[in-house]
Amino acid sequence: MKKIIILTLSFLLICFLFMQFFRPKIVNSPASADFQAPPNVKAIMIRACYDCHSNATSLRWYDQIVPVYWQVAADIKHGRESLNFSDWQKMAPADQKSKLWEIVYQISAGAMPLGSYTEVHQNAKITRDELSTLKAYVNSMAAVALPDDTAKINAADRQYSQWRKEQFLIKQVPIAPNGVRYMPDYKNWQAISTSARFDNGTMRVIFGNNIAAAAVRTHHIQPWPDGTVFAKVAWDEVEDKDGNVKTGAFKQVEFMIKDKEKYAATEGWGYARFKTPKMIPYGKNALFTTECINCHRPQKNEDFVFTQPIKH
Amino acid sequence: MRNIIYILFGGIFILSSCQSGSKNIELFNEQAKLPETFKFDTLGLKVMSSYINKKSGTMSTLYANPFALSNALDGDKSHRAGEVLALVTWKQQADGNYFGADVPGDLQSVEIIKSAIAAKNVLVSYKKYTGKNLDSAPDTLQQEKRITYIFNQRPSVMP
Repeated sequence: MKKIIILTLSFLLICFLFMQFFRPKIVNSPASADFQAPPNVKAIMIRACYDCHSNATSLRWYDQIVPVYWQVAADIKHGRESLNFSDWQKMAPADQKSKLWEIVYQISAGAMPLGSYTEVHQNAKITRDELSTLKAYVNSMAAVALPDDTAKINAADRQYSQWRKEQFLIKQVPIAPNGVRYMPDYKNWQAISTSARFDNGTMRVIFGNNIAAAAVRTHHIQPWPDGTVFAKVAWDEVEDKDGNVKTGAFKQVEFMIKDKEKYAATEGWGYARFKTPKMIPYGKNALFTTECINCHRPQKNEDFVFTQPIKH
Repeated sequence: MRNIIYILFGGIFILSSCQSGSKNIELFNEQAKLPETFKFDTLGLKVMSSYINKKSGTMSTLYANPFALSNALDGDKSHRAGEVLALVTWKQQADGNYFGADVPGDLQSVEIIKSAIAAKNVLVSYKKYTGKNLDSAPDTLQQEKRITYIFNQRPSVMP
């Protein structure tokens, strides 16, 4: 008995040592366009995010041991792909801003830093105070509306008159790169909720098709049934000097389509975004949905849906 | 040997139970809901537009029946019999699911305008309901102003 145990343990030890030779490379290339922010904000990001989300990865000795190393390497590869602070300034200023809001959202939703990472790297945890610091920083960048902004009012008026003259009639149905077709009927669906996005100065109405509306009525939304479709319409905010905000120019309509099998790769939901009244499909290729699901994933317990429906 | 196995399995059990606590999930926006007895969904209305008032911290959605909606699109300011418009107003609250957004909170009021023919004239009626139970609120002072305001709204662009 003892002999067998010793033999097995030695075999496992040899395997373990042998495994150490299989090491994917983690390259720390120079940060040419590093993230810029006030020192207290940047310090939080460096401590909690940079290991996986920058080219300045610092590995502890225990990160270097296979199989832990494999997980670490995979996290870093995936992390750098979705956000790399070392390439921050390569993003357009508007994209930098929306990325910052997304980062704070991911942290406040508890999705980042990854739980599996902070369990081992305790000092990467972000405290409540630090989260407040980050929130205050992004809030200082929130879209500030100019009251009676003539440029916005004119754009809205122009678009409205074109729409009334039916100049936006779409002859060919636009199709997103993942095959989702534009659905012109969204405006006749039921409103599920509205939202005001003070981060980017837009306002939205979220519509649900018949299946969604029935699911709300009968309380069957966890999970939402196959065939559910949401449409989220966004407009510019147009504000007057008394703080009254109306919908300005139409920006985009986004769809979420529930089909457990067809969209299994993106947790059962198909996504699409059509921009401007010309309904130009968003995304260079079908991989654009990675962006969608990355943001929706923290909503896993709500079947990946942000909106809490309002019963009417 | 047995002790080692116990320690190993015990350790695995303890580690696996270290998952972060599950958060309390609220599937519906209960604060903002309209009372079932009000039967808003039976009015057959569509979304016409939506509003925010930053000073009072409220959000509203304007609904209209297809007839009122197409009249509004035509820019016809004279009222025709058969129009129904409803303005639902909520107090705004921070979106618990998304930092950077506000969503409807406590239900504040529903204002309903209906136009009908009475003695060959078009008669416009205005009714206001307030609070989370939508109790009928007799309002004679603001009526004319509110009717004008609601009739003057133009639909949001939805190509």
